[in-house]
Amino acid sequence: MPGALSGVRVLDFTAVLAGPFATRMLADHGAEVIKVQSRLTAGGPAHNLTGYFAAWNRNKLGITLNLSKPEGVQLARRLVRISDILVENFSPRVMENWGLDYAALRKERPELIMLSMSGMGRTGPWRDYFAFGPTVQALSGMTYLTGSPGRAPLGLGYSYADHVAGLMGVLAVLAAVEHRQRTGEGQHIDLSETEAMCSLLGTGMLDSACNGRDPAPEGNSSPQRLGAPHGVYRCRGEDRWCAIAVFNDQEWDAFCQALGRPSWTVRAEFSSQGQRWKHSAQLDAVVEEWTSQRDAREVMESLQRAGVAAGVVQNASDLAGDPQLKARDFFVELEHPVLGRTVSDGSPIGLSETPAVYRRAGPELGQDNDYVYRSLLGLPEAEIERLTAAGVIF
Amino acid sequence: MGSRPLLGESTMSFPRSQAALHGVRVLDLGGEKGAFCAKLLADMGADVIKVEPPGGDRARRVGPFLSDLPDPEKSLSFWYNNTSKRGITLDIGKPRGQGIVKSLARTADVLLDGCGPGYLEGLSLGYEALTRVNPGLTLTSISNFGRTGPRRGYLSSDIVAAAMGGQTYICGDTDTGPVTPYGEQACLVASVFGAIGTLMALRHRRVSGRGQQVDISIHECAVGVTEHVLIRHFYDGVVARRQGSLHWDNAFRVFPCRDGWVLLSLFGEWDTVVEWLDSEGMAADLKEERWRDPEVRRMEVEHVIEVLEGWTRRHRAAELMEQGQAMHLPWAVVHTLRDVKGSTQLLERGFFVEVAHPGEGRSFSYPGAPYVLSRTPWRIWKRAPLIGEHNEGILMGELGLTAKEMGDLAEEGII
Repeated sequence: MPGALSGVRVLDFTAVLAGPFATRMLADHGAEVIKVQSRLTAGGPAHNLTGYFAAWNRNKLGITLNLSKPEGVQLARRLVRISDILVENFSPRVMENWGLDYAALRKERPELIMLSMSGMGRTGPWRDYFAFGPTVQALSGMTYLTGSPGRAPLGLGYSYADHVAGLMGVLAVLAAVEHRQRTGEGQHIDLSETEAMCSLLGTGMLDSACNGRDPAPEGNSSPQRLGAPHGVYRCRGEDRWCAIAVFNDQEWDAFCQALGRPSWTVRAEFSSQGQRWKHSAQLDAVVEEWTSQRDAREVMESLQRAGVAAGVVQNASDLAGDPQLKARDFFVELEHPVLGRTVSDGSPIGLSETPAVYRRAGPELGQDNDYVYRSLLGLPEAEIERLTAAGVIF
Repeated sequence: MGSRPLLGESTMSFPRSQAALHGVRVLDLGGEKGAFCAKLLADMGADVIKVEPPGGDRARRVGPFLSDLPDPEKSLSFWYNNTSKRGITLDIGKPRGQGIVKSLARTADVLLDGCGPGYLEGLSLGYEALTRVNPGLTLTSISNFGRTGPRRGYLSSDIVAAAMGGQTYICGDTDTGPVTPYGEQACLVASVFGAIGTLMALRHRRVSGRGQQVDISIHECAVGVTEHVLIRHFYDGVVARRQGSLHWDNAFRVFPCRDGWVLLSLFGEWDTVVEWLDSEGMAADLKEERWRDPEVRRMEVEHVIEVLEGWTRRHRAAELMEQGQAMHLPWAVVHTLRDVKGSTQLLERGFFVEVAHPGEGRSFSYPGAPYVLSRTPWRIWKRAPLIGEHNEGILMGELGLTAKEMGDLAEEGII
């Protein structure tokens, strides 16, 4: 079955998470993604044999190409001529130094859509700043704001901003594809991971711009919605918690019903949403008394049955066994020649006519050299052997 | 602050007709959960018609508000998530309202549905009914847990979505409970996935001529952005836990400074970092050879942290970032949003854009484009619509309703 993006070829020069996450979305949905690596930077075959690599490079072809050799750059240009999209996440000057910047590549392929992803963007005084997801999260305000009021900033502890950048990158590429289909024109996209992350903090930024306020961490509270009870509550067992959110009288009534209407629920200080918000510390304490005697799943199910938003604070093992995810075939099993059976998270984009297709786990280093150089580029066998021996296909 | 430095020519004079998604029409019944999805499309030039119930969307009651005055026209979250759209009011629970949705759907490329599984079907506005009037229509649904599965009817909110998605469990201090990521991220991320799925469906339509259904589960989207969590579980049997500001692989951590906080990496360019500390007499025993082994540092990270913390406390955060970055260290000031607004990098790139609010008699500075496209301008073409602002323009101007019909609809409480 063809994917939504079948017929689109992507040349992928990215590494780590942000870029590979982006190109995996394209690959899952039918694009032919050619991941370009070099033994010089990858080190050796072991580089591609981690779970991390296999997961984020699912469905991609893998080739090796040494861009430090002039012939390597020439081959890259030939690959561009047969590609629709190029994605790279080098620091801003790298592609230019190889002569593979957009201005040069559009001469090879005028319709090319090129996505350049970097921590700070291709311009500005910090364009050469060295950044990973955590760096971006710190610079965008995300780290400062994720935490509990009055305590040191925590941040997220994982590279969320890389996912966000990957998502925004794919969105921009697909918009450019739409434009190209209408006009035939390609273009260059400059994606700053920091700006992508900032765009998901828009409300807080507007609060700062319009009201002159510097938003503070909110922990698990919801001051803008006056949620009460609103938080994660300790449940029975070791480090088990359930999130509960009540925003109005109707939900409060359902909540009280689920608890069997204990006497404290009719106390004056819990008589309206405003009152409950005002006395949320007291309320949290009595709610937790109730939850802590129950399993998190039981808390969630009894509250959901009554019509209250509640959910187990799921850990990795809960996610792996989550009945909803299973029912929707969220997990993907693929055989890997070295790693054996692999499991990874599927695409959250459910398309009724052109669903995601999972063909294989991440490629081994240079696994598809033959297909790409011989079948796609049409290089003769002897030429491939020469380039391999010369350390160009390397 | 200058205008945005561009890759090619200036986009300032571009008309909307040159935007990437010009000609795409979106009927936005996304409510609060899908609002950001339609905003992303609108800022890239799509013609988005936001349909709100009479009196306005519930999201208009969510703060913060301009000058802290609760008012449905002054919700800043509504402002941000609904830029560049037009807005009409319509009671889709009533048959005449449904008829108008159908008429509008005939002219649309995309219908964005945030109403919850089964709701539109119940009003005879489901995919089958709508594609009878418009076979090329893409129906994008953004819902709590997806359109299928045993928990499709579950209620949710941001805190529940982040909890069920696995984000919350790994955030927080070791001595407290889990903490929810800031800023109602789950819905926002689902909206980006939703916009991507929508454009994929539009691309397929160019090939097949047919629309399709895009089913986005906010829950799955949250799970899909947890980096290491599932991988470590499936490959190493690890159940990741929260560990304060320490990155999951111990590679980064937040440190206190004289004037705030700084994020440092703990493993790269080790010799350089030790030399720097030593030049200030602060390296303690980290000069010893054994610490050069990254595995030793990883195993005994607590000690590394202790020594570094003694040193960072004597410095300003910006100074550490600037000097660290000059040595190719991925260090960063832990910015507050006020710092972000004053960031020279963002200002130099013209990230913030002024959006006119004629009703307020002034303009406000909004966060700008998440991506810079060289040829097709991204822009906030207009502030979020007022309640029913485009009722006349769309219902009379485009659907040809008469003034009398409009009067009747208003009287019946449909618009």
